[in-house]
Amino acid sequence: MFEIDYAESGEVVCRGRLDAAQSAKAEAFLGRLDASRTLDFEGLEYISSAGLAILLKTQKRLSENGAALKIINVNKHIYDIFRYSGFNAIFEIEPL
Amino acid sequence: MAAQAFKRSIDSVARIYRFSEDIMSAAEIDESVRFPVHLAMEELFVNLVSYNPGARRDILVEVETVNQGVAVTITDHDAAEFDVTRERPVDTGASLRERKPGGLGLHLVQHMVDTLEYDYRDGRSRIRFSKEPETRDV
Repeated sequence: MFEIDYAESGEVVCRGRLDAAQSAKAEAFLGRLDASRTLDFEGLEYISSAGLAILLKTQKRLSENGAALKIINVNKHIYDIFRYSGFNAIFEIEPL
Repeated sequence: MAAQAFKRSIDSVARIYRFSEDIMSAAEIDESVRFPVHLAMEELFVNLVSYNPGARRDILVEVETVNQGVAVTITDHDAAEFDVTRERPVDTGASLRERKPGGLGLHLVQHMVDTLEYDYRDGRSRIRFSKEPETRDV
């Protein structure tokens, strides 16, 4: 189960497991972003390479207009995946 | 050891997660092992499904817990040869402009499991990997 939606603060809140079967849901939501946003991963338990591809695709598209995603409240396991993927160099990331 | 066959569909990912999570929870496997095991299972399964679209037979997943570690065997009897242990370099230091989405799955698997073996014979691919708990200095 994966959920993605706006919080009242304007941040994008992600919850659950972002696996290959759920990546289309993330892509549909993030594909509509047209300005810098913060993604709150506090409730996100898991992400696989399918989810990483959507994040990277979104970051590349936003960067063309000088915008960017920031990712906060990242759990240790997901943070490890970001490090192995080199995402800590192309996203602003705040661990939990 | 527990075994279950799964349909060749990305939608099987959630069922594989539930199958392996139930086994690892019952054995009280630490989260530091469970997370990379789930990740490796998904990446390897999706790889078999995505790169062999003409295949029809289900894919067998076997999970075994030993002490606090986990060993997984994934067998595809309808496979093209694809050695998952071969290094596939990803330039993780490239700039955002240079990075291309995709290609991270096997890179992550190779970094996050302790052992990874591949055997291909007569149309059958067998992938075996294991993960042990991290040892901590006291």
